[in-house]
Order: sequence, then structure tokens, then C-alpha cells
Amino acid sequence: MKFLNQITNYAKEVVQSAKYIGQGLSVTFDHMRRRPITVQYPYEKLIPSERFRGRIHFEFDKCIACEVCVRVCPINLPVVDWVFNKEIKKKELKHYSIDFGVCIFCANCVEYCPTNCLSVTEEYELATYDRHELNYDSVAMGRIPYKVTQDPMVTPIREFAYLPAGVMSGHELPPGAQRAGERPEAIANTAESSEN
Amino acid sequence: MESGIDLQGQFISALESLGLSHDLAKLLWLPLPMLMMLIVATVGVLVAVWLERKISAAVQQRIGPEYIGPLGILAPLADGLKLIFKEDVLPANSDRWLFTLGPAVVVIPVFLSYIIVPFGQNLLISNLAMGVFLWIALSSIAPIGLLMSGYASNNKYSLLGGLRAAAQSISYEIPLALAVLAVAMMSNGLGTVEIVEQQSAYGILSWNVWRQPIGFLIFWIAALAECERLPFDLPEAEEELVAGYQTEYAGMKFALFYLGAYVNLVLSALLVSVLYFGGWSFPIPLETIANLLGVSESNPFLQIAFAVLGITMTLIKAYFFVFLAILLRWTVPRVRIDQLLDLGWKFLLPVGLVNLLLTAGLKLAFPVAFGG
Amino acid sequence: MDLATLTQTITFFALAGAVIVAALGVVLLNNVVYSAFLLGGVFLSISGLYILMNADFVSAAQILIYVGAVNVLILFAIMLVNKREAYTPVPGRWLRQGGAAVVSLGVFALLTKMILQTPWQLSSLPPTTDSITTIGQHFFSNFLLPFELASVLLLMALIGAVVLARRELVLEPEPILGEEVVPPLELPERPREPVALSEK
Repeated sequence: MKFLNQITNYAKEVVQSAKYIGQGLSVTFDHMRRRPITVQYPYEKLIPSERFRGRIHFEFDKCIACEVCVRVCPINLPVVDWVFNKEIKKKELKHYSIDFGVCIFCANCVEYCPTNCLSVTEEYELATYDRHELNYDSVAMGRIPYKVTQDPMVTPIREFAYLPAGVMSGHELPPGAQRAGERPEAIANTAESSEN
Repeated sequence: MESGIDLQGQFISALESLGLSHDLAKLLWLPLPMLMMLIVATVGVLVAVWLERKISAAVQQRIGPEYIGPLGILAPLADGLKLIFKEDVLPANSDRWLFTLGPAVVVIPVFLSYIIVPFGQNLLISNLAMGVFLWIALSSIAPIGLLMSGYASNNKYSLLGGLRAAAQSISYEIPLALAVLAVAMMSNGLGTVEIVEQQSAYGILSWNVWRQPIGFLIFWIAALAECERLPFDLPEAEEELVAGYQTEYAGMKFALFYLGAYVNLVLSALLVSVLYFGGWSFPIPLETIANLLGVSESNPFLQIAFAVLGITMTLIKAYFFVFLAILLRWTVPRVRIDQLLDLGWKFLLPVGLVNLLLTAGLKLAFPVAFGG
Repeated sequence: MDLATLTQTITFFALAGAVIVAALGVVLLNNVVYSAFLLGGVFLSISGLYILMNADFVSAAQILIYVGAVNVLILFAIMLVNKREAYTPVPGRWLRQGGAAVVSLGVFALLTKMILQTPWQLSSLPPTTDSITTIGQHFFSNFLLPFELASVLLLMALIGAVVLARRELVLEPEPILGEEVVPPLELPERPREPVALSEK
């Protein structure tokens, strides 16, 4: 009897494992008819999210050379070169640079800058042939990147969070399809009106 | 049953009518099947590689090769071309001769096994009486090549991969042979043509799957293990052994391994379709169709149509199993080496023996249904 | 001489040469791995000779059993223990080698004489095309006893392998004679007496 029980248990286990393999196969088979989520990168690009932290933008004229960005930086990365102008008793900025080969894009400097002369852009394509080319000076940092949505070479693809409710893929969206939920402006308006 | 198209006889008689002697005509015929075999096997591999890449991509919701030819259909060719032009690297302190000989020893038997694959009544290289047994014997040479290349690479991973491959291959050959034996018992012979003919009486109803379901499962699992496909790809498990015995190989020698693996996969799929799914036979017996159409079976056009249909059926069935293997690759995780040997020796071997015993008993009890 | 005979002759001499050269390599090479691989070559060439003699089943069985199983196992054993070190020269090794050579040459001479002297009866029957059926019929008629004995032998080997594999080895260090048994190392512990008790 005990031997028979063993055999039945064994057979049950075999059937069970076969069932599970079958279930797994059905899952993989089901995936085959889904649309690929591939974004064909140089031709299609995802639109970076609103809070995307890309390359830092710098406005030379707003900077007061206070060096707060250096202090809040985890590795004291920004190089602020200034001289003290005795006539007007103010610091005068001569050069400003950040090495984006070392930067970790935490955007602490942007957060703490008292004059808002630093800001984050949505540029992330920083590849160069030499790492020293990543050491951006104030001129390079002053450039405004091309927007993905305005580039005629690129089909912009929306990210998952910016798709209408129930849509899983950013391809083939009808024009004017809004994302799920309210837009930030609307949220800000309702917040203001409720305060008042 | 009509014998169908006899290419060899017609070729030779055509040459003889041109005034060549019989011997010379036969000599001219000789290289053609060999060339045919190489071309068919290689093209089969190219298709299998393309399918592997496309299906894998689809399963993972990717696109896969797209820009190399329409639908990326030239991707395997580009792969091959790249491998041909690559530098042939010989690792330091390795054994030059064994290192070079290894891939050849692995590949040649696999190609040779195509001798017995039938695409129709007379559409095979040689209708040997040994048939499937030849395939089993030839596939047992491959582990020597694997051990050779694993040893000659002068690399721990290679040696371990080679040893694993040999262990796996000799353990799974036995259940494989037992499953084949049950089929051979039913068809009273080992020849592939006999096996297919025995299944072709009532169309889809007389295919061997219905009579040998356990044997089919054993054969499929063992064939996957012989091909070193996932879930049994331990010899080249990249997380543990880099690439197993292929680690040190580059260029054309690596291409030989790659080719061998896929030829083996296609060959196993072809043999599954031959042994269990009626080979070239159509789900409805062709005589019935011919009678329905009111055409005599010896009609040349009908014969050509049936030959084309037979080749198509064989390929459809075989590539269905290639597809299944690829799907399994992305479904099932790799087994451990002890689980692998447990499955082979403690599960497949006893079940295979029981299946053989059952087949023998059923053959004695119902000789009509089980090929008495 | 027609085409078929010519091909057969050429193939025979090629195969025979391959057998002899590979077998000499097995014996004479110093690297044991080369010897093992060459042994596989010998088996393969012999199976080719079987094919020449119309014994297709025997040749396939030769490949399956000798190349696929025996030779792989030999290689397996060699590779699991191979340490790649040179053999220590044994004094008087040439004596053994000479002895082996003399014995082998003697056996070779005897066999040659036997082969040359035996009046071989060449069968005039055409070779069977269906060797498997013939072999099967002989197995179950006039060679039934050896066949069954072989199967019993294989069963014994199978059971023996199972028994050997099932035995669970418990390794205990055996005490060596003439050495006192060292008690296993232990951490020195403080006496576990409550402080209050020990103060009294």
C-alpha cells in the first residue's frame, strides 16, 4: 500500500509540474501577440518626464559667485572662478564649469542656487570621444538643448505615465490624446481656488 | 502505395541517354545528394536562427532583427559572414591540434545524420535499414569532440563545460534510444521510411503520438537535452561557465559549434516529426484525396504536387517543434546538474523502460493497432 | 577493375592504414590524452572496415558502444584525474617495454601464421541487405543462451552499479596506530557556577 501511495504521489507531482510548464508556456505564448515596446532609439525617442534631471543649464549673468552650489554638491564639483572687484565691492565671475563626466545629476546645486541661475535640462545624450570634452564651461552650459518634440528627425514617444488610461504603448496614439488624470496646471488652479 | 518520384533513377537514365556510361552517370550523381544535404542543413539552420531571434524577441515584446533585409531575414547570413571574417584566435598554452579538431568532430556527425531524414518516399539521401539507429550512433560521437575542445582550450570553464556536455549526452542517449526502440518495435524496423509508412494508413489518426504519447514526451525531453537547449543548456550555462566548451573559440571554429547546435536542433525536430507525427504524410491520407479528385495516383502532376506537399508537411511539422523549443527556452529555467542527472536516470530511464514494456504488451494484445 | 571495386580497395587501404597508425599512436605516445583520443580514431576506422564488409549494424553498434560509451568514459576518467605532470622515470623501463614488444610481436606473428594457414571458406551467397533481421533471428534461435547470459551479466552490472551508488559513505578519521588519540579541540570555558554561590 505504502509503495502504491508513493507511486501515486510521484505521478501527481509529475502531472502537476507538467501543468505548471504548460501554464508558463501559455504565458510566453500570450506575450508573442503583444505589441513590442521597443523604442527605435535614434529615430524614436521617449519624451523625458517633467522632473527629468539631465544636463545642468547655467546662466552666466545671473550668477553671484556665492559658491553655494559647490558647498551642496556631494563632491564639490562646480568650479567657480571669480575675483573681488574692490570698486563695486562685489564678486565678479570669470569662469564657471562643471565636469559632467563626474557629475551624478543630483541637481542639488539647482535646488540651492539663490538666484536660479542653474536649472536642469532634459538633455541626456552626452556621449563624447574624450572624457575631457565632458568638462562643460559656462558657454557650453548656456546652450539650450533641442527638444525631442521639436526635432523633425525624431518621432517622440510618450512614456507610460503620460498615456491615456488603459493605453499601454506610446505608439500609434490618436492626436490630442490626453494623459490620465488632470494636467499640472489644472491641479495648480484648483489648489489656488480652494485656498481662496 | 506508389513509390513517388525517383530522382536518382531518372537522373542516371537521363545521363545515359546522353551517351555516358552507367558508372560515370552514377559517379556524377554521387556528389549531388551530399551537396544537397549540406545546403539543406545550412539553409535549415539559417531559418532556425532567424526564427530563434524573431520568436525570442516577440516573447520578450521586442522587435528583433529588422533592418537586415525584409523583417531582418538576412540577419543569420550577416552573423555567418561576421564569424567568417573574424580572427581565428588560438589561446595560449592550448593544444593546437585538438583545439582545431574538436569543432569538426562535433559538426560532421550531425551533418551526416541528415542521410536518413526523409522528405518523401524517395526524397532522402539513403534509405538505410538502420535508419534511426544510425542517428543515435552518430550523435554519440559528438561528446568526444566536446571533450576534445574542452580539454584543448586550456581553460577551467571549457573543461567543465566539456565534461558536463559529455555526462549529459551519455545519460540522455539511453532514454532517447528507449523511446526510439518502442517506435521501432511498432513499425517492425528501424528505417525512417518504414516508420513513416507504418503511420500513414489513416492520416492524422494513425500518427504515432496517439499510440506513443509517453514515448513522444521522453523523446522530446531527451532530444532537447541532446541539443543542449534550455532548460538543459548546462554545458554552456553562461552564468556559471561563461560559455562552457565554446569559451575560447572565435571565428570559424565557433561558427562550427554554432552551426552544429542548430543543425542538431533542426535534425531533432525533423526526427520528432518523422517518428511521432507521420513525417511527410498529410493529415488526410493522400490516396483518399486522389480518389476524391478522380485522378490516378501515377499522374505525374499529382506526384509532383504530392512530393511538394510532403516536403512542406515535413518542414511545417519540424519547424513547429523548433518553435516549441524556442518557446520553452524562454519559459523554463535551467535545471541544476544534479536535477538534470536525476531527471535522466531516475525519471526518464524507468519511464522509458515501462513504456517499452507497455508497447510490447500492447503489440502482443492488439497486433492490429500496434503493428503486429 | 570497375569503379566500385577500386573505391573499395582504396577505402580499405586507407582505413587499414588509419587503424594501424592510430593504434601505434595509442601505444607509443607519451601523452595519455592523445592516446585516448586516438583510441576513438581506431574504433571509428574499425567501424568503417565493418561497413566495407556490409556489416552496417555492427559498425553502427561499434560506434555507439565503443566510441560513444567506452571511449567517452575513458576520456572522462582521464580528464577527471589528469594533473598534467610528467611521469617519473622508472628504472629498467626499457626492459618492460622490450618485453611488451616481444609479446606483441609474438602474438602478431602467431595470428599472421594462423590467418595465412587457415583454409578460409568464402561464402558465395550474396550479402544480406537486411542484417538487423538476420541478427535478430540468430539471437533468438541458435545464439539464445549467450544472448540471455549477456543480458543477465548486464543486469548484474546494473544492480551492482545501483548498489555502489546507493551506499552512503560516512567518512570517519581512523585512529593511526602508534599515535595517541588527540581529543578534539574545545574552547576553555569558565566554570558555570553562579557568582553568589562561589563567594560563600
